[in-house]
Amino acid sequence: MNGRPPLLAARAVAKHFGSQSALAPTDFELADGEAVALVGPNGAGKSTLLALLAGALEPSSGSVERRAGARIGWAPQRPAQYARLSPRENLELFARLDGGARPEQVGELLAEFELPDADALAGDLSVGNRQRLNLAIALLGDPGALLLDEPTAALDPEQRRRFWERLDAQRETGVALLFVTQHGDEVERHADRVVALREGAIAFAGPVAEYAMA
Amino acid sequence: MSRVGLLLRKDALILRRSPLLLGLLLAYPLLIALLVGLVAGYANAKPRVALVDEDGLPRFVTIGGHRFNVDRTIKRVSKDVTLVRLRPDEAQRQLRSGKVVAVLTVPEGFVATLKGMVESPKLEVQTARGIISSRVDEQVQALVYGLNRQLQTAYIGTDLGYVDLILHGGNGSFLGNNFTVLGLDGAERLLKREPGPRARELQDFVGDARLALAQTGNALRATAHPIEIDREKSRGRTWALSADVQAYALGLTISFLALVLAAGSLAAERDENVVGRLARGLVTLGQLVWAKVLLAALVALALGLGVALVFGAIIQIGNVIGGEPWARVPLLALGLLLAGGALGALGALLGAIAREARTASLVALLVVLPIVFLGLVPQEIVPVAGWVSDALPFVHGVRFFSAALYDASPWRTLWREALWLVGLGAVFGVLARFEARRLLT
Repeated sequence: MNGRPPLLAARAVAKHFGSQSALAPTDFELADGEAVALVGPNGAGKSTLLALLAGALEPSSGSVERRAGARIGWAPQRPAQYARLSPRENLELFARLDGGARPEQVGELLAEFELPDADALAGDLSVGNRQRLNLAIALLGDPGALLLDEPTAALDPEQRRRFWERLDAQRETGVALLFVTQHGDEVERHADRVVALREGAIAFAGPVAEYAMA
Repeated sequence: MSRVGLLLRKDALILRRSPLLLGLLLAYPLLIALLVGLVAGYANAKPRVALVDEDGLPRFVTIGGHRFNVDRTIKRVSKDVTLVRLRPDEAQRQLRSGKVVAVLTVPEGFVATLKGMVESPKLEVQTARGIISSRVDEQVQALVYGLNRQLQTAYIGTDLGYVDLILHGGNGSFLGNNFTVLGLDGAERLLKREPGPRARELQDFVGDARLALAQTGNALRATAHPIEIDREKSRGRTWALSADVQAYALGLTISFLALVLAAGSLAAERDENVVGRLARGLVTLGQLVWAKVLLAALVALALGLGVALVFGAIIQIGNVIGGEPWARVPLLALGLLLAGGALGALGALLGAIAREARTASLVALLVVLPIVFLGLVPQEIVPVAGWVSDALPFVHGVRFFSAALYDASPWRTLWREALWLVGLGAVFGVLARFEARRLLT
């Protein structure tokens, strides 16, 4: 740790939908530049924790703290974009709504993620392209941390490889990463530490090596 | 551009890229309006009534000295029904199957009783059971009333013939007996030849009697028809162009559009999985609901003005009098915005509750018809329908449009209905904002 407060922290954050608990009170911190893999079986509360950290859900109790001035990018598992808008229109809309994106960033992201810049609508894109657009939207405003929910779940091996190349490039610029994955190899290759959830509570938190042994 | 403006522009762009949806949204309410018009037209159609002639009505009947062409007389008095001559058994069969709504039977001895002029003959009427039986009763009564008027006219003519005979003298007949009457004219001539006060007294009486009898015609007519209706054909609008029809057409069209559009587009945000992304500080849920309300209001304005312009052009080209098709357009525009917004807020509430675009659209479609039909039920007949309707924007929109386009002094109505629309829009908008939290899950 560099002595700075964490980029993002959950303090006893919990979420329930009606009478059903999705996440028990949970503590979590994400530091600058680190990569954390969030793992666990379906229904363990991974996506809920990610959405709470992203601010897309309001916690039922506890709080989420974000370092002052820190920008957080979020890409949910199912692409969050308008199918009847083109990739450019999607990026422009979210950039203008966000207000923190550089004007030239839309063009840069379109080029960087090799997204079609013509009349193609997002809904007509391949699964891989939609996932890339999802990530590109998350990168608007140059966030210091990216929260990614199973970003490669719908991609074939080649698409996954290229996707991680782009993410690694982001990491090299100091972007912190918290990603949900079901792929053990992604944990080993791209994570510094692992948080495993089971039935809405943290079952393990520690370095990748210890997780592999556990 | 504000965030609400950005969302609004996005929705407009998406709508423009969905020509099929847009076409359906425009065509569907117009189709419904047309069907409602056809049903209303059917309601005004002449019911089919069977005429069963058990008396063997002759072609001509002479009553009180007047000769009636039976077929022509029946045709003249049966303007509101279509009379078809049927045999008794066929008439009963058609009444049971609903092909005729009533059977009017002329019983045996009808004409003889009528000619006797001593007692009133009776016509027998059978009506089908059902929701329109009271209307059929009214129309059959109207038919008998028409016949009675024809007969009264004949009777009065005959009576006046006898009065004329008393006045001027001459030959006459009654119940087949011929006679000669001196008449008041003849009596006066005879009395003038007689001297003396007794004769002068009788002369004065004859003069008074002549004056009194001269008024007999008017008195008889007034007794027969104490109240007359003076009909004048106006140059007003036809039914299809009437103020009510235009106001209802506008209300119906924008109700469909605003409800379905707001409900579908709000729920579609969840379908696109973007609500969470927007809620991360980009847009508040209140702004999201507000954007849908504005979308509904603006689309209602555009479409409503289009409909009003078509009506206005027809009225202008047809040189139809009444109403202010152009001068009141700004007022109408205000009403369209307010009604569209209030309906949009209700639609947003439905969208937030339904949470899924297809379900939301279906719910909106299912909800819009009762709302519209409740607004068509006269409050005086079903007060509950009126109260429920008052709690929904449709009827207030219709009243606003009608007053804006046609009332000579519309301001009181406009203020009242505008307040209703703003109030209902605010209530539904707040409820929609509250329910929109469900879109996040």
